[in-house]
Amino acid sequence: MIRLFVRLILRPLRAEPVRTLLTVLSVALGVAVVLAIELASDAAAGSFRSSIETVAGEADYEATAVGGLDEQIYARLATLPIAIKVRPRIEDHAVLVDTKQSLPLIGLDLVAHALDRTSASPTVAAKGELILATASGHKAGDTVTLRVNDHDHQLVVRATVPSETSFAVVDIGTAQRLLNRPGKVDRLLIDAAESLEPALKKALPPGITLAPFGARTEENRKMLAGFRSNLVILSYIALVVGAFLIYNTISVSVVRRRNEIGILRAIGMTRSAVLTMFLAEAAIFGVTGILLGVPLGRLMAEGAVGAIGATVQNLYVSSQPGSIALSVAASLKAVLAGLVVTLAAAWAPAREAAAIAPVEAMARGRKDYDTGIRQYRDLMIAAGCALLAYLAALMPPIGRRPLFGYLAAALLVLSAALATPAFVHAATRLLRTLLRKLLGVEGLLASQSLDAALRRTSVLIAALITAVAMLVSVGIMVGSFRETVIQWIDSQLQADIFLRPAVPATADRFPTLSLGIAERVAALPMVAMVDQFRAYSIHFRGLPVTLGSGDANVVRQRGAFKLLEGDPDSAYQAMLNSDSAIVSEPFVNKHGVHVGDVLQLPLGEQIRAIRVVGVYTDYSNERGYIIMHRARLLRYLPDPAPSNLAVYLKPGAAIVPAQRAIEAALADARVLVLPNQTLRREAILIFDRTFAITYALELVAVFVAVVGVAGALLALVIDRRRELSLLRFLGAARYQIRKLILCEAGLIGLLATLGGVILGGVLSLVLVYVINKQSFGWSIQFHVPIAILISALTIIFTATLLAGLYPARVALSLNPIEVIHEE
Amino acid sequence: MSVLQFVDVRKQYPSDSVAVRAVDGVSLKVEVGELIALVGRSGCGKSTLLNLAGAMDFPTSGTVLIDGQSTTGLDDTMLTRLRREKVGFIFQSFQLLPNLTAAENVELPLLLSGGQKARENALDRLARVELDGLGHRYPHQLSGGQMQRVAIARALVHRPKLLLADEPIGNLDSATGSTILELLRRITTEEGATIVMATHSAESTAIADRVVEMRDGRIISPQ
Repeated sequence: MIRLFVRLILRPLRAEPVRTLLTVLSVALGVAVVLAIELASDAAAGSFRSSIETVAGEADYEATAVGGLDEQIYARLATLPIAIKVRPRIEDHAVLVDTKQSLPLIGLDLVAHALDRTSASPTVAAKGELILATASGHKAGDTVTLRVNDHDHQLVVRATVPSETSFAVVDIGTAQRLLNRPGKVDRLLIDAAESLEPALKKALPPGITLAPFGARTEENRKMLAGFRSNLVILSYIALVVGAFLIYNTISVSVVRRRNEIGILRAIGMTRSAVLTMFLAEAAIFGVTGILLGVPLGRLMAEGAVGAIGATVQNLYVSSQPGSIALSVAASLKAVLAGLVVTLAAAWAPAREAAAIAPVEAMARGRKDYDTGIRQYRDLMIAAGCALLAYLAALMPPIGRRPLFGYLAAALLVLSAALATPAFVHAATRLLRTLLRKLLGVEGLLASQSLDAALRRTSVLIAALITAVAMLVSVGIMVGSFRETVIQWIDSQLQADIFLRPAVPATADRFPTLSLGIAERVAALPMVAMVDQFRAYSIHFRGLPVTLGSGDANVVRQRGAFKLLEGDPDSAYQAMLNSDSAIVSEPFVNKHGVHVGDVLQLPLGEQIRAIRVVGVYTDYSNERGYIIMHRARLLRYLPDPAPSNLAVYLKPGAAIVPAQRAIEAALADARVLVLPNQTLRREAILIFDRTFAITYALELVAVFVAVVGVAGALLALVIDRRRELSLLRFLGAARYQIRKLILCEAGLIGLLATLGGVILGGVLSLVLVYVINKQSFGWSIQFHVPIAILISALTIIFTATLLAGLYPARVALSLNPIEVIHEE
Repeated sequence: MSVLQFVDVRKQYPSDSVAVRAVDGVSLKVEVGELIALVGRSGCGKSTLLNLAGAMDFPTSGTVLIDGQSTTGLDDTMLTRLRREKVGFIFQSFQLLPNLTAAENVELPLLLSGGQKARENALDRLARVELDGLGHRYPHQLSGGQMQRVAIARALVHRPKLLLADEPIGNLDSATGSTILELLRRITTEEGATIVMATHSAESTAIADRVVEMRDGRIISPQ
């Protein structure tokens, strides 16, 4: 059996090294992308708190409150007559000015910490001192400038702690001073037995959340699940495209060896042995592809982690991308995916090989004819799949996951694959006359050749259609999203100038401006109005949410929020006069709340009932917003420092001089003064960066498909060497043979592009209206980015055409005399 | 006047350590309208001689003249042009393209050379080989004899001066083979085409104007 396998399978593979390599490469890329996304999203999402935990140690519980906890609570807990250990902590972010490195700033009770033997950093830092991670590049004794919110502070490095991720640790008093939070801490870490939980809860005010340590990390992971699963599904596209190519390769292998299989069956080989032989051939591609794909995936993860990390920060939560660990679980997942996809793709042709009767020694034409007959049956099944896809698209999500949406997309891809033979057959027939007129006899022969070898060309075209369709649909989805966001920004960003601290802000990190800045800006002669916006990261029903406040009067006057639900006038009136809020669309989608519902929010130390009076469109993050009137929120969270300011100028005031005046007035503060246009540009830039990874994934899938075209064309050339040689006997010049192969490549590219645009258009509807809506809750207006799509499709078409160059060279290297005589 | 002339032609192929002499000093003149039967055992050099005659290959030494034009020194483009204009090929296994209809197969040489009225000429040629009305059929819908007629029509469609046939009835039963031979004979007489036919069959040699026998790459009869 092994000898037979070597002779019948391995030798032919060795004889066509380029084609073998291209097939292996397609599997390798598919596996690599799956692994890269798995590892990169693990690294990007898995490090919410790891650096802090390393230095500060862990605990059993943590107590937190929106706006921070009063130090007195720390004292109250410490004096409880139960066996607990309480440690206060302040957490924020700062920037090392010399390296512009953003890093977590942690305030600990360092005296108590140094006494704790389990601590990783038994060092005491005095006032004006800090402890840095070695990753920051500084050493003990250095003086560093730390930018916290809108101020720079000089601190001396007391010690360094070995760590690959950066952080700065200061004593809690220093942290309170730097962050301007006198008497407040962010959380209390509590070591206590589980049985003491009721006593702890009783001792804490109702607005303070007591949760098992690490619960927040779990919540963050939960919040990221949707984002992550969409990314993971996208990462499988390259592997699915690879599956088509494996199917094609094994089919070619079976068609070529039909006679051999007939003979082997006649002399005693069993059906199962034939089946095993071809599955083993696929396994060779699979295993070799995996062996190459795993290290490649590890490399690709390095590139992907930055992009994913940026998206996580912009849309969800602060996290420092951790180091990429090639975990056994992730590797196993990629290996299994590679093997399963390879073997599943090979199953049908391998079974067909096993079904070959011993007497069968038929010509290739017969099999293609069979495919021709079956295309109508397949077309009917395709119509059925499309109908099922439509029904699946109407189904609601399961656990906030658009599982039926994914099913609809998969059914549409299957439907397209099944309809491809009929599509190719009809298209080549229709195009035949036109191609002959435009491209001469080579165009005619190319169309006939594709139609005649329908079985293999349709699989190839289906692979390329899938890749193109994914690119088109994601392109339309992102393009629609981008256009919607641009329109939203236009209506949302009404102010002329925006101010914020000159430190990075993320979806859950809201550095504040010093008190008095708003007043200083408002006092400038060209300023008409200043709106102070404050944001807090809070937790609602187990998920992180952003709680914000602004001046409802300004909002009403300027119409910045477009309400989807609720009457604007009565909503803003309610916000001014009662504990009411408007909430963003993603928040509504996540928590299923509507106008009139009452939210129980932990504000300060108490739980407050806040009524929802409106739902507004928002695309700035996926966590969701709850927006209250500033004065109402200040009653419960009295810290008046704003996170940012929106400055409205008087009519006729020019922006640039106003910007300069503000900068001059605030020369002592580290504040970014951004004109409306700059902020818009920045927002679009962030948007584009966010979706860069999806394009990268699509491009890998397209690359795999184009590699597949090259491999499959090569196989076609080798199998049609008699025809090509005969053409030389009949007077075809060398350039005509080259032109013929390039016409075939071009026709494959053209049909795949056409099919891909049709399928992509339909898939984009599923993406925009089902998967996106159910995953993220964003309403997106449909928009086709025509220029981008045309450029992308032109590149794909050209790449497919170029993929024909090597097969054309092989075709030209054939010796017609030898070929005709050996036949 | 000679349509085809070999002047002391030799053809060697490198094979492992020893060069194989497929054609070894052949000189031969073929006149317009002649039907020559090239006979000899397998491997005697018949097919190589046909390839040289058809401008598909160059001689190692000596000269091959097709309609007075030497193939030596011609580049690929010129060889292709010579082949397109002067030569037609008929093969033992018909060598029709399975995905083209009979008419499409026949018009192929005209299309490759950019000739006009390809379909019209193809249908006319098919009619001449008694296949009118079958132009739309694919090769698998034709009998062996019909397939060879299509191949003959294709070989003649561009009105070549020289028709080269390699075992044209080798894959046919004797009755069909006879009909094909009759057709070839008629072509020479009615259209003035010259045919060089490599064959094993006595029936083929019977209709030939001249029989040339080869052995070990040489012509042994007539001397």
